[in-house]
Amino acid sequence: MSSSGQYSYSYIFKYIIIGDMGVGKSCLLHQFTEQKFMPDCPHTIGVEFGTRIIEVHGEKIKLQIWDTAGQERFRAVTRSYYRGAAGALMVYDITRRSTYNHLSSWLTDTKNLTNPNTVIFLIGNKMDLEGSRDVRYDEAKKFAEENDLIFVEASAMTGENVEQAFLETAKKIYQNIKDGKLNANMTESGVQHKERGGPASLGDSSSSDKPNCSC
Amino acid sequence: MNSIQKLLSSDESIISSHEVSLVQGWMRSSKHLIILEKSRDLKALLVASEGVDYALPIDSDFKFDIDCESKSKNAGDVFISITYQKNKLLFEMLPVSKTNAFINELLKAMEHQSKRKSAGDYSWLKKYSKKTDLTVENQGVVMDARTCTVPSENRAVFVCTCAALGKFVILGIEVLTFCWTYDSVIKYQMSIREQDYTYIQGIQVFIGTWNVNGQSPSCDLSDWLTTTVDPPHIYAIGFQELDLSKEAFLFNETLKEDEWLRAVTKSLHPGAAYQKICLVRLVGMMLIVFVEENLAQHVHNVASDTVGTGIMGKLGNKGGVAIRLDLHTTSLCFVNSHLAAHTEEFERRNQDFHDIDSRIAFTGFLPPKSIKDHDQIYWLGDLNYRITDLDLTKVKNLINAGKYQTILEHDQLTRQHAKGNVFLGYKEGAIHFRPTYKYDVGTDDWDSSEKNRAPAWCDRVLYKGDGIRQQVDYKSVPSLKISDHKPVMSLFNSDIRVIDAVRYRKVHEEVMKKLDKLENEFLPQVMVDNTEVVFDTLRFLEAQNKTLIIANTGQVPVQFEFIKKFDDSNYCKDWLHIEPYMGFILPGEKCDVKLEVYVDKRCASKMNSGQDKIYDILVLHLEGGKDLFITVTGSYERSVFGCSIETLVQLNVPLRDVALGKLIELESSKDSGTLSNTSYSVPKEIWFLVDHLYRHGLKQQNLFEHPGLPSEILLIRNWLDTGSSDPLPGSVHSVAESLLLLLESTAEPLIPYNMHPACLTASTSYVQAKQLIASLPLCSRNVYLYLCSFLQELLSHAEENRLDAKTIATLFGQIFLRDPPRSRDPSARGKSQTQTQARRKANFVYHFLVNDFSELIAPVNHPG
Repeated sequence: MSSSGQYSYSYIFKYIIIGDMGVGKSCLLHQFTEQKFMPDCPHTIGVEFGTRIIEVHGEKIKLQIWDTAGQERFRAVTRSYYRGAAGALMVYDITRRSTYNHLSSWLTDTKNLTNPNTVIFLIGNKMDLEGSRDVRYDEAKKFAEENDLIFVEASAMTGENVEQAFLETAKKIYQNIKDGKLNANMTESGVQHKERGGPASLGDSSSSDKPNCSC
Repeated sequence: MNSIQKLLSSDESIISSHEVSLVQGWMRSSKHLIILEKSRDLKALLVASEGVDYALPIDSDFKFDIDCESKSKNAGDVFISITYQKNKLLFEMLPVSKTNAFINELLKAMEHQSKRKSAGDYSWLKKYSKKTDLTVENQGVVMDARTCTVPSENRAVFVCTCAALGKFVILGIEVLTFCWTYDSVIKYQMSIREQDYTYIQGIQVFIGTWNVNGQSPSCDLSDWLTTTVDPPHIYAIGFQELDLSKEAFLFNETLKEDEWLRAVTKSLHPGAAYQKICLVRLVGMMLIVFVEENLAQHVHNVASDTVGTGIMGKLGNKGGVAIRLDLHTTSLCFVNSHLAAHTEEFERRNQDFHDIDSRIAFTGFLPPKSIKDHDQIYWLGDLNYRITDLDLTKVKNLINAGKYQTILEHDQLTRQHAKGNVFLGYKEGAIHFRPTYKYDVGTDDWDSSEKNRAPAWCDRVLYKGDGIRQQVDYKSVPSLKISDHKPVMSLFNSDIRVIDAVRYRKVHEEVMKKLDKLENEFLPQVMVDNTEVVFDTLRFLEAQNKTLIIANTGQVPVQFEFIKKFDDSNYCKDWLHIEPYMGFILPGEKCDVKLEVYVDKRCASKMNSGQDKIYDILVLHLEGGKDLFITVTGSYERSVFGCSIETLVQLNVPLRDVALGKLIELESSKDSGTLSNTSYSVPKEIWFLVDHLYRHGLKQQNLFEHPGLPSEILLIRNWLDTGSSDPLPGSVHSVAESLLLLLESTAEPLIPYNMHPACLTASTSYVQAKQLIASLPLCSRNVYLYLCSFLQELLSHAEENRLDAKTIATLFGQIFLRDPPRSRDPSARGKSQTQTQARRKANFVYHFLVNDFSELIAPVNHPG
């Protein structure tokens, strides 16, 4: 057995999934945690929570994933959840151009509300609906490059590239820790080293004693 | 516990009990562990909740382990696994001193058992539980978490959680909670599924024993050690009387150790390379274990121990040495012993065996492992049992005739073993070789010395445990003649469990996946009947209620709380009240949460100015899980309550007739000081109220002190808002309270906050107070003086209404110089300071109740 001591994992990484309503954020999460597509997924009214243990370079990492509501009216509230995210999965729908056009606003929020080393991963979801494509791959790729984002097109329905997006993000975060860019002991880093228990709550003392609001 | 107390016979007692969690599958449930004792001798362990789940004899089949990793510094919980006849229960205990005490009692009970020479009769345990083994439960429950979800009849009231630990404090009721991702739990899951990722591999184990009578190895040992075609996988070679010198005995030092090690190493089977795993020696007793090189990498946790049973029962001239190791997942133990000598001392030899068996302890394990804790035990040595009750000549004749069986009937070990006095549970192969003792050195001749010792099978090999499939060979080697004993060898075909790395990874992955899946499934889940709560049109001072039903639809108890959003100071707006705002819901149950909206004097002005509206998004947080957003909306019908004086003086129509945009515009421009020509000197609403009091209330006792009727205040509100031509409704008390409310509902008090410090300082000087009032914005000044004039008028009727200037000053001091909205932290301001302030405010106002201030009054333009 591994030498990871009392816990079955060595790190906890906090992720958030953001993007317009209906781009498939919850389905991506479900596909990742359950390896299943969830048809007729209701709109998320709140912030769903999922978890999975993955392995990066032989280290077990527990991902705590917060899947946020995409509705515009919740935007002010969901901003509360950005803080302390080590990874942000920013999702748009390749069949709906408007969801792509809004990316810059999501990106602004992410940059303003997370720490500089938060890994931002851009996912063009619903790649299985090639016939209805409204956003060209090259175009999104260029946007990603300009903004220093990792980019992949994926399908929560077929599962294609879903695993990859979550894992690549973790690898990048792990690399940042190894490179010393990310301090695993700082609450803002979104990374905990061998800690136990459920997800940190929005209102818990560790996050409220030091307001760090830039919105 | 009580039901168990009732079952106790008079000679049975409870030694210790402890509250623990039993981990079954992925769930844990609260249990009591109880150590029972019968007749101050036999011990047993009960696992009980309401009834007894298991009653386990603490006998030689009872084993337990403490998970070493969870003993790490972080004071994590202690995991104890109890194994009974190959089946396992995992318990989780809190890291508290009671746990230590209980474990000590358990260890004591096991120690007591290990000293017993025979198995006890445990039939008395049956009355506690039919289950005295773990088999059924293990297959039924442990393998699948599904079958052990909470039985509904066991759901009952229990108190709040210590949710950070994922643990529930329980009042005597069984509750299952999900096991978090402990390594111990994963290890336990892996051990349950061992068969899925291990396979059986046959190995050959060579056991050799030789009493070398203090000689040096002057001859080749191949005849003894290399007797098979195929090389054995393991050698365990024991010597006795390696060195008979005083130095060896006194200082445990000898050169013979190296000599014999070299000799043995040289004579191991040439068909394979061997690695020395361990060598242990106590005086003349030495045991060496070699493992074939390719297999050696799978050897773990090697340990050794020695026990002297010689002089005074302690010294090392007699006793035993032992080596234990894990080969893949199979644990092996080799014991080399030299028991007490002399024919008549067979009982002493039995005792030596028991001493070695109970005293050998491999430290480095928690608790230390003893010989019995191993899958396979090989016991070799000069056991020194002799042949009795048989004439020496007859013995020698029978040996020559090869009739060993007849002699063996007189062999002490055979007899004692059959009686169960020694080597209980061990087996020995059939003996088809001449006695190994005692020979004239250098010959195959029986002892010809004066002592003329009778031949005996002193040198023996016994074994115990699973997987020792076949004893292939058991013989002595007469050709080695340097000692008065002949060496003995035995070869075993044994089975060990080997981990298939690929399958192990696969199973491990499955276990982890299952863990992930369960963790997600066991996240708290609720359904809320309505996430968009819409209220009807709200009016000032009229509360509305709605109920929100939170249903726990998940599998675990839910701790919910409405939590603050990022930069808010409270979890909801100040016009909203949530009861309860946090709570605890059992699976399948519901909680009604009352949402009350109520716009009062604190929040009316923000509603009027458009700074706030009936709109809030509540964050309902589930501890350890997701958050739900609940939107609360409604419309608010604006009232004159909450309008600023500046706005009111500019309204020459009833508020209800004022367009919303116009009102917001007036409120937002109120600080600019621009008043139109049509403005009133005082708001008509204040005039109406004061005028009413002037006409009907001057002689009323307790005016402003006696509360009004809420229903009447609402009528007055409507009357003012609609500009009704009916007479003003309500009693003078309701009118008086409405007047105060009107003054209190404004965003700023009549004397703005920024002037308060100056007013408090000026409280002793009428001249300064007058200057301050003169500097007020015009409409505030007008209202202030207007009200003070009225109050003077009121006080002039003190004989009838019994009001006095001090009381009125105190009351209106709090109104004119109202404190800013209180911070939610009540300790922010000291009480004495507040009292001083209140006195100063009263003093400030008092000046205007007893002095003539007509020089301040500008010409008044009365409305109406």
